[in-house]
Amino acid sequence: MKALLAIEWLKIKRYRTVWVLTSLFLGFILLFNILIATETLTLGGKGINILNSDYTFSGVWLNTTYWTKAFAGLIALMVIILTTNEYQYRTNRQNVIDGWQRSQFFHAKWLLVLVLGMVVTLFTFATGIIFGLLNGSSLSDAGTHIEKLFYLFILLLNYCGVALTLSFFLKRTGLAIVIFILYAYPLENILWGISLNPNYGNFGFFTPMESSAGLLMFPFPPAAKEALPKHMPSDSSYLAASLAYIAFYYLLGRWKLLKGDW
Amino acid sequence: MANNILSISNISKSYGSIQALKNVSFDVPAGSVFGVLGPNGSGKTTLLAILLNVLQANNGSYSWLGGLPPDEARRQIGSLLETPNFYHYMSGYDNLAISAAIKKRGANDRDRVLGKLGLLERKHSKFQTYSLGMKQRLAIAGALLGNPSVLVLDEPTNGLDPVGIAEIREMIRQLNAEGITIIMASHLLDEVEKVCTHVAILKRGDLLVSGPVDEVLSAEDEIEIKAADMQALQAAIASMPGIKIKSANGLLQITGTATPAQVNEYCSSRGITLSHLLLKKKSLESKFIELTN
Repeated sequence: MKALLAIEWLKIKRYRTVWVLTSLFLGFILLFNILIATETLTLGGKGINILNSDYTFSGVWLNTTYWTKAFAGLIALMVIILTTNEYQYRTNRQNVIDGWQRSQFFHAKWLLVLVLGMVVTLFTFATGIIFGLLNGSSLSDAGTHIEKLFYLFILLLNYCGVALTLSFFLKRTGLAIVIFILYAYPLENILWGISLNPNYGNFGFFTPMESSAGLLMFPFPPAAKEALPKHMPSDSSYLAASLAYIAFYYLLGRWKLLKGDW
Repeated sequence: MANNILSISNISKSYGSIQALKNVSFDVPAGSVFGVLGPNGSGKTTLLAILLNVLQANNGSYSWLGGLPPDEARRQIGSLLETPNFYHYMSGYDNLAISAAIKKRGANDRDRVLGKLGLLERKHSKFQTYSLGMKQRLAIAGALLGNPSVLVLDEPTNGLDPVGIAEIREMIRQLNAEGITIIMASHLLDEVEKVCTHVAILKRGDLLVSGPVDEVLSAEDEIEIKAADMQALQAAIASMPGIKIKSANGLLQITGTATPAQVNEYCSSRGITLSHLLLKKKSLESKFIELTN
C-alpha cells in the first residue's frame, strides 16, 4: 500500500495542474468561509441574510463542511485528469508492462482518492478549529456537529468514486469532464426535482451524488430553516446509500480494469 | 523446456469478428535474438501485448522464465511496446524513477542507461520536449533499467535516423553477446536478418513458420549448376532424390534438401564434371514476401 502511494506521489509531485487545482480549491474554501464569517458576503434582502455566519463551534462544522462540499467538484475533476492522463499517454499500460498487476494500478488510484479525501477533510477540520477559536469559542465545544467532518469524507469518496469510474470507462479527459459536470449539476437537479412529485417517491434524495450531498445541507440560519423540505431522509439512510454507491463504484471499476483489454 | 525463456501455447485473440491471432504456439530459447515478423496487421504487437498483460487472450497460455508469476516475470523483463509511454510533464530521469520503483530495481541505474542511449545531457528536460527519436531512446533506456535478463522490443528502431538504427542494431548484438535474450518485433527485415538468430513469421494472425533463421531459410536455398553437356546433366540429376529442378538462363536451378557437396558428388559419380556450382542463399526478405503473399 505504501509502495503504491509512493509511486502515485512520484507521478503527481511535479504535475503543475494538480497544484494549481489544489491551490484553487483550498483558496476558494478559505475565501468563502472568510467572506461569510465576516458577513462581507450576504444573501437576501431587507436585513435578512440567509448565509449562516455562525462560525463559533456551534455552527462552524455546518458551514465549513458545506463550503468544502460546494467546491468538491474541483477535486473530482483532478481525479479525472490524473486518471484519464494515464490512458491518454498509455502510462497505465507501461505501469503494467513494468510489473504492476492490473489490480495494483486500480488500488493505487483508490488509495489516491482516500488520501485526497483525508487531506481535504483535515484541511476543513483545521479551518474549522481556527475559525471557532477566532470567534471566541472554547475547544470543549468543538464536538457540536463534528460528525459532519466524517460525512464530508464520505462525500469526497463518493464524488471522487464517480470521477474515477467515469475515467475508467470513458478514458478521455474532455469527455469524462463534460459527462461529470452534466451529471453532477443539471441531471441530478432534474432528478431531484422530479422526486419532489409524490407519485415518484423519494428516489431523488438517493441519486448517486445527492445521497452524499444530503448529509451536508445548506447551513440555513435558524430563522430560514422553513425553506427545507418537510420530510428529509435521515442522516443514517443518506450514509447507507452513500456507502453502497462507493462500494458499487469500487466493484464496477475493479471489474472493468481486471477484465478486457487496456 | 528449461532452456526456453518463453513458451507460448495456442494463443488466440479476436476483436469482434476479426481474428487477430489464431492458435499461435512457439518457444523462445534462452540466449536467442528472436524476431517476430509480419506485415502490418499480422498480429505482432497484439501477441506482445498479450505476453505483457496489456491485452487478454481469448484462448491459450504462455509462461515466462520457467513459470514465474507473470507480474514478477515482467519486473525482470525490459519492454518497449508499440510507442514510448511516459508522463509528458516529467523529465526523462523522473519518468525512469517510476519504472524503477515498479520494477523494484534500477533506480541507481538511470544515469548508466541514459548515458548508453545518449540522453544524459537532456535527462532533466521534460519528456514532451523530446524529439521522436529521443522518446524512442528513452523507452529503450527504460527497458534496459536494472540489467534485465530478457528484452522485449516492439519496433525498436521506429523514429530513429540511420545512425541511430545502426547504433541500436549494434547494441542488440552486444546485449545478446552478454547473454540477454531479445524478443524483437519488426517489419524491417534487413534489420532482423542482421541480428536475429530465430524468427517467427505471422500473417493475419496465423503463425506461418518459426525456428532458427538458418533452418527457416535453408530449405529454400537454391543451387545453380552447369556442365558442358546440359542434356546429360539434366538426365543425370533428375534421378537425385529430394530435389526439384528448374531450367533458366542456360543453368539448372536446384531446390530441396541436397547440399552443394552432395550435388557435386552425385554428378561426379555419374561421370559429369560441373563447370558451375553456386549456392544462392535466400534472403529473409524474399522468404518473407513469398510466405506472406
